[in-house]
Amino acid sequence: MRHPSEGVLRRLVDEPAGVTDDDRAHVASCPTCLRALESARADAQLVGSALTASGAADVDTDAAWARFSATPAPAAAPFRPAAAPRRGWRTTVRRPAVAALSAVVLLTGAGVAAANDWLPIFETERVEPVEITAGDLVQVPDLSAYGDLQITEEPDPEQVADAATARELTGLEVPEVTDLPGGVTGDPTYQAAGVVSATFTFSADKAAQAAAAEGEDLPPVPAGLDGSSLRLEAGPGVAAMWAQPTGVPTLVVARVGAPTVDASGGVEFETVQDYLLSLPGLPPELATQIENLSQEDGTLPLPVPAELVTTSEADVNGEDATVLTSRNGLFAGVVWVEDGVMTGVAGSLSADELLSVARGLR
Amino acid sequence: MSRGRVDVRTDLEQVFRGHYARVVAVAARVLGSRDQAEDVAQEVFLSFGRSSVPADEAGGWLTVAATHTALNLLRSGRRRSSREEIAGDGPAVAPDVADLVITREERSSVRAALARLPHKQAAALVLRHSGLSYAEVAAALDMSPGSVGTTVRRAESHLLEELNRHASPE
Repeated sequence: MRHPSEGVLRRLVDEPAGVTDDDRAHVASCPTCLRALESARADAQLVGSALTASGAADVDTDAAWARFSATPAPAAAPFRPAAAPRRGWRTTVRRPAVAALSAVVLLTGAGVAAANDWLPIFETERVEPVEITAGDLVQVPDLSAYGDLQITEEPDPEQVADAATARELTGLEVPEVTDLPGGVTGDPTYQAAGVVSATFTFSADKAAQAAAAEGEDLPPVPAGLDGSSLRLEAGPGVAAMWAQPTGVPTLVVARVGAPTVDASGGVEFETVQDYLLSLPGLPPELATQIENLSQEDGTLPLPVPAELVTTSEADVNGEDATVLTSRNGLFAGVVWVEDGVMTGVAGSLSADELLSVARGLR
Repeated sequence: MSRGRVDVRTDLEQVFRGHYARVVAVAARVLGSRDQAEDVAQEVFLSFGRSSVPADEAGGWLTVAATHTALNLLRSGRRRSSREEIAGDGPAVAPDVADLVITREERSSVRAALARLPHKQAAALVLRHSGLSYAEVAAALDMSPGSVGTTVRRAESHLLEELNRHASPE
């Protein structure tokens, strides 16, 4: 018979019962496999030893519990211990994506992009962190196959000393939290970022090449489309961020100029959008991003882990706000737009706690 | 009544005391530093306290959460310098096998290598060496149970390549 795979041999080291009788019988009588098994066993032992950290065994559980229980537990929203008001789950595909994107842009604009891997979200059944990297945050749809995509202005996010400096740099007030939720302690760090803008210029040549690569002809290009541009813009932004000692943010409060999409060159935005969507071989994810582009909503398309996040609506001092909650409730965000300025709070807190923070902002 | 603690699990202290040392050990396997491992453990128990994970599944959940959190920290570059590892961490000696003396330097390159592995491979390796069964590793990482052995073996080979020392015959 064939020799069992390396993976089977590796399992034989740890869990002989997990390997089939046939495989076990083969290995027992096969010098080649026995050697490979010994080598797998020795490698496993060596790695196990290398991974063992000396001193990790004698932890002081009593002291650790004392430290843990001294950390303030989350306090209930003082005026609303029950669930936040909900006007029903969003039913369309478009709005949640838009809202989630806005939240991400909000954080980006505020310079939180620097906080790589900032948010581990755990699912109760299957534990998986969601890593939102700086690269994910600053994406505009990758339209480079169909024209020129140029970042015309970098946001240059930076950490600043205080709220006053942030205001000076951006002209935006950092929202002031009147009452910190339980579990959020210490002083925040402040971030400020300028405007980020990008220009996409449609190129019929490039689009034809992309179509040819798919073995298809380019659909007829509407008059005036070749060489026309879309302008994507967001910012400036400010943020205050509270973090745990490991650097994972517990609370982020941010304000940012709401992102916009602008068409120029004499062609309607919808024309560009419809045409892009008609292109052969357009990747489905890119298509979704393009569909979500809109002038009225003022959004930038960005990828979010939509399968891990649910959205609902709430009222923040008279404004319609969107509440994003990870499915297990460990992370949430609240976002709303007022006079073209988007404000948001997010963190490893419950939606109720964040709504309480949102409503108490000055 | 308006303010007080909410949603604090009544079983939290019991779970904490029962699993703390183990959770620290899991994180320390990734980070090589007990201090940082304890920070990770505090964070993981905080998340657990807010979750509705059944107490009898706490062990597995905490192990997986500690692994992911520690790996994220390891990669984030926010990790403190190797100061703590250098301070007072003698080589770990497994008395019977002279080859298993791992130098401090090697320890540090193992962690650098761990940070470079694909997340799933690194997580599978750490979970297995933290005592999870193949079936549990498969469930935690959404893999087929058959592929766990291959993934773990591959990760071990990578790490040992970094150390430039294989126990294999050649």
